[in-house]
Amino acid sequence: MARFVSFRDFDWQLLFLVLLICSLGVVEIHSATLHSKFAGAHIRQIYWIVGGLVCMFALSAINYHVLLERVHWMYIASVASLISVFLFGQKYLGARRWIKLPGGQHFQPSEWVKLILILAVAKYFSEIRTKDLSWEDFIKAGAMVGVPMLMVLAQPDLGTSLTYIPVAAMALFLGGLRLRQALIVLVVATALLPIAWHKLKPYQKERLTSFLSPEADRQGSGYQVNQSLIAVGSGGIWGSSTQGSQTHYGYLPVPQTDFIFAAWSEERGFVGALFLLLLYFMLLMRLIQNAQTAPDRAGAFIVMGVVAVLAFHILVNVGMVVGFMPVTGIPLPLMSYGGSSVLFMFLALGIVMNVRMRRFVN
Amino acid sequence: MASKTDSGVAKPRLYWMGGLLLLWFCAICLRLVYLQIFAYGEFQVRAHHQQQRAFETSPIRGVIYDRNGQSLAMTTQVESFYAVSSDLPDPANTASLLGRITGTDPRELLACLKTKNFCWVARKTDPEIADRIRSMNLRGVYSQKESKRFYPKKELAAQVLGYVGMDDEGLSGIERSFEKKLRGKPGRMALSVDAHRKTFARVEQEPESGENIVLTIDEKIQYIADRELDRAMQETHSIAGTVIVQNPRTGEILALANSPTFNPNATRAISPEKLKNHAVSDVYEPGSTFKVITLAAGLEEKVTHPDELIDCQMGSIVVAGMRIHDAHPHGILSVAEVLAQSSQVGAIKIALRLGEDRLYKYIRAFGIGQQTGIELPGETRGLSKPVSRWSKVSIGAISMGQEIGISPVQLTGIVSTMANDGVWVAPRIVATTTEPRQAPHTFVYQPAAERRVISPLTAAQMRLMLEGVVLHGTGKRAALEGYTSGGKTGTAQRVDPATHAYSKTKYVASFAGFAPLNNPAITVAVILDSPVGLHQGGQVSAPVFSRVAQQVLAYMNVPRDIEVPASRQLLMAAKKAAKPNDEELADAAPDHLGAPLDLAGAEGGDAVPNTATLAQNAKPSPASSMISEIAQLIPAAIRTREAPVANTPVRTSSNSARVTPSGNQSVVRQSAAALSPQSSSKPASGTVVFDVEQGGIPVPSFIGKQLRTAVELAEESNLEIEAVGSGVAWDQSPAAGSHVAAGTRITVRFER
Repeated sequence: MARFVSFRDFDWQLLFLVLLICSLGVVEIHSATLHSKFAGAHIRQIYWIVGGLVCMFALSAINYHVLLERVHWMYIASVASLISVFLFGQKYLGARRWIKLPGGQHFQPSEWVKLILILAVAKYFSEIRTKDLSWEDFIKAGAMVGVPMLMVLAQPDLGTSLTYIPVAAMALFLGGLRLRQALIVLVVATALLPIAWHKLKPYQKERLTSFLSPEADRQGSGYQVNQSLIAVGSGGIWGSSTQGSQTHYGYLPVPQTDFIFAAWSEERGFVGALFLLLLYFMLLMRLIQNAQTAPDRAGAFIVMGVVAVLAFHILVNVGMVVGFMPVTGIPLPLMSYGGSSVLFMFLALGIVMNVRMRRFVN
Repeated sequence: MASKTDSGVAKPRLYWMGGLLLLWFCAICLRLVYLQIFAYGEFQVRAHHQQQRAFETSPIRGVIYDRNGQSLAMTTQVESFYAVSSDLPDPANTASLLGRITGTDPRELLACLKTKNFCWVARKTDPEIADRIRSMNLRGVYSQKESKRFYPKKELAAQVLGYVGMDDEGLSGIERSFEKKLRGKPGRMALSVDAHRKTFARVEQEPESGENIVLTIDEKIQYIADRELDRAMQETHSIAGTVIVQNPRTGEILALANSPTFNPNATRAISPEKLKNHAVSDVYEPGSTFKVITLAAGLEEKVTHPDELIDCQMGSIVVAGMRIHDAHPHGILSVAEVLAQSSQVGAIKIALRLGEDRLYKYIRAFGIGQQTGIELPGETRGLSKPVSRWSKVSIGAISMGQEIGISPVQLTGIVSTMANDGVWVAPRIVATTTEPRQAPHTFVYQPAAERRVISPLTAAQMRLMLEGVVLHGTGKRAALEGYTSGGKTGTAQRVDPATHAYSKTKYVASFAGFAPLNNPAITVAVILDSPVGLHQGGQVSAPVFSRVAQQVLAYMNVPRDIEVPASRQLLMAAKKAAKPNDEELADAAPDHLGAPLDLAGAEGGDAVPNTATLAQNAKPSPASSMISEIAQLIPAAIRTREAPVANTPVRTSSNSARVTPSGNQSVVRQSAAALSPQSSSKPASGTVVFDVEQGGIPVPSFIGKQLRTAVELAEESNLEIEAVGSGVAWDQSPAAGSHVAAGTRITVRFER
């Protein structure tokens, strides 16, 4: 196998889109935290982005086939890290999600587990060459994603655990899921839903339903959705620019992370929001195109796995901001402030680049 | 079989993915269109609603000054404290601490704190309590400035000033009638509230302070009137009473006293009857004082003359079949004596000669039946029915002041018309309004509405006849020491509201008069409602007139125009030596009123010479000083009688010797100058102290001077000048060397 890998084949267009979105994110983080105790967060975000870029380039240098060969070890390690969270994790606001690192940093294993799952699922499906998906493969793939998912759910971290579903769903879909199979899965899921619902804690139930009627409890469970809608709505067509009062007066909850799209929409208006959505859409389309041109089935699955996670994040987050979706604590990729999220996105992009750079190789 | 990519992934499935994403984005976009374009306004309002609070900030209410710039009503900033329950670390402890300082029940406060988030702890507190609360530095207890209306002179002119409610809104008196001007314009404060209830205040519009009001009231004259009315109320046990002091020339009310009265600082204790401003809102049957109109009309219409003899038919006359009696039977009296003795029969006879229409014309001309336009709320028009509704007896009843209703201020107007040479001037109590937050340094009097009712000759005849009332008629007790005076008594039976018949026991005793006779400086009306025991106007009201006029004239530095009898002078000197504070000019000095706030320094310096004056007054041997006075002052006195404005023919009355007696050097306040409208160019604060000899300012000679030089000279001598013509002065009145009150207008004729 002749190996001629060059950064000439790097997807610069994709990188440009990514960095554009990131810089808009930095600008908005700056504006949103200006008067809060988080002031200066945009600087830290820039550090994370730079760090992410380094990681991305580093990861793209390693042939993804090398990674795929060792993915079972990685999978075992990720499950182990989730167990360690159970054992040594830091409890914060009733949830055990973080491991305290010696440097004082907090590490959230559930983020990087996502990446491993993409690789693991891609590896699994790359070895299946049948046109249609067998039930056996279905269950195996389901279990592969389901085990870490349940562990995260038990932390409890509903939002992050939900982000594992699109990884599996995308792989199953591309792996040849038949309509009949899909329907059976839907029926079973619907049947299981009341049981799952029963298992949920009251505050989780409230969070999941309050978006349906944010007016019902403006000060309570509907508060966040309500404030988010007010922020978006009061942005108007051109936005209220620097006087984004919902954001600046602290009515909008966590405007630098989960509700950064609301903050953006308030300050930049309909035009700004549309522009941002267009960027995200172009980003996703670019990724899908990369999947099409991937050198092999594993590569395509990897890229589509990233698309799945990214799209899920965007859709759920934006859906939450505009009142389509419940508030689940899923950040907006590339925009939201937060090291884990940024690092994950750049690592994921690193793998995508990895695949792309090797598209002419075999 | 669908097409495949190189990697063997079904292409349609990728397109499906792309399509699904597109669909989702479209849904989001539509949602954004709805939120940001269609529902924009609604969300904008909701954002504003939760972030912005707007509230009004109250303006500072204007100050009410007396004519000399003394504050009668002012607004001070006081502190109020409130607690925000959610900010309190230990509500119970805070409540007990505050309760100890403010003297309120801590349990009450605690109950409030437990139920509400916002509680007033102490409203409009005294400064020392505010200091103590602030020094404790309690968490969760905040202060706010609030304005509080303060009446430094307490009861003084309470009905004129009125009072304000909790929100500083004027509820009576000037406070009410000038509410709009006094109040000012409220400002607007915008408050941005963040999610943590932190607020960022922004002034959107500064409040505009209210305008100040300058009254024509003179605080010291008001004080004299208040005190004398009080004394009369105690002595006569009347239900109510009014004393009005007016400048007859300009219509300015110098004092308006009512009893019973109230302290506008303590608004809780105010009852309606205390609030009532009897001077403008009472309608009463004037009785004999109304004969002034009947006789003035008779003289003016030339149906009689003062010396005509009228048969008073031994006190009984029949009008339209109804017999009317006099209190005392009189035989044949001159018209002057009809007034002096207050003969009903005489008045009726003159009224009958006039006829109904002419009498009614004069009643209206004197302002009865219509509001005088004084700037006080609740003024009555009085009761005066048109001739068409008169019965046959009416002309008789009205001629002696029955079947007609007037207010005390209308009565004052009638008498002032006599004093003002026959010109009726609308009474005024507001001199001017000034720019907010400025003391009234200079202000311009607007000309009052005025109309000629009777000729100057008739007025002069009336004045002499009114003097007769005081000299040898029913109003002997109104006589003054050192001043001529004129006036009319009145004793009207009150109409019993139960029986609609005249009461046998309830009377309204009144006296309205002016002084000095030929250049009247003041008109004083005294009305006492239902005095117990002595009830005649001449018995109970005339003495009040005398006491008020005596002090006010002295205070105004009006030169005396008759000699005080030697025996009387001795008595006065003795009284002064024994009781220096009794009944004399010094009594009216401001020391008794409490030092005015803004001019405290000046007042302090003033107090000393006042005491010195008393000592001096007491010392000189009265006998020796008197001789020199008489020798010195006769010519000056005569000139005074020919003094300003009185270009009417004056008949020398029976008083042969008129002497301005006070040879003593006296220290007088300049306020006399402020009393005349011409004094507008001088600071009206009335605190300049200067020495005046011989009870007035010597008039310098203007003859031969150019207009400008003359004006400068007048200014130096504290006199006003009225220039007639142009060129060089060739005549002046009063003549050079005579003594006049400060601020007197000297008429100087110029010719080329």
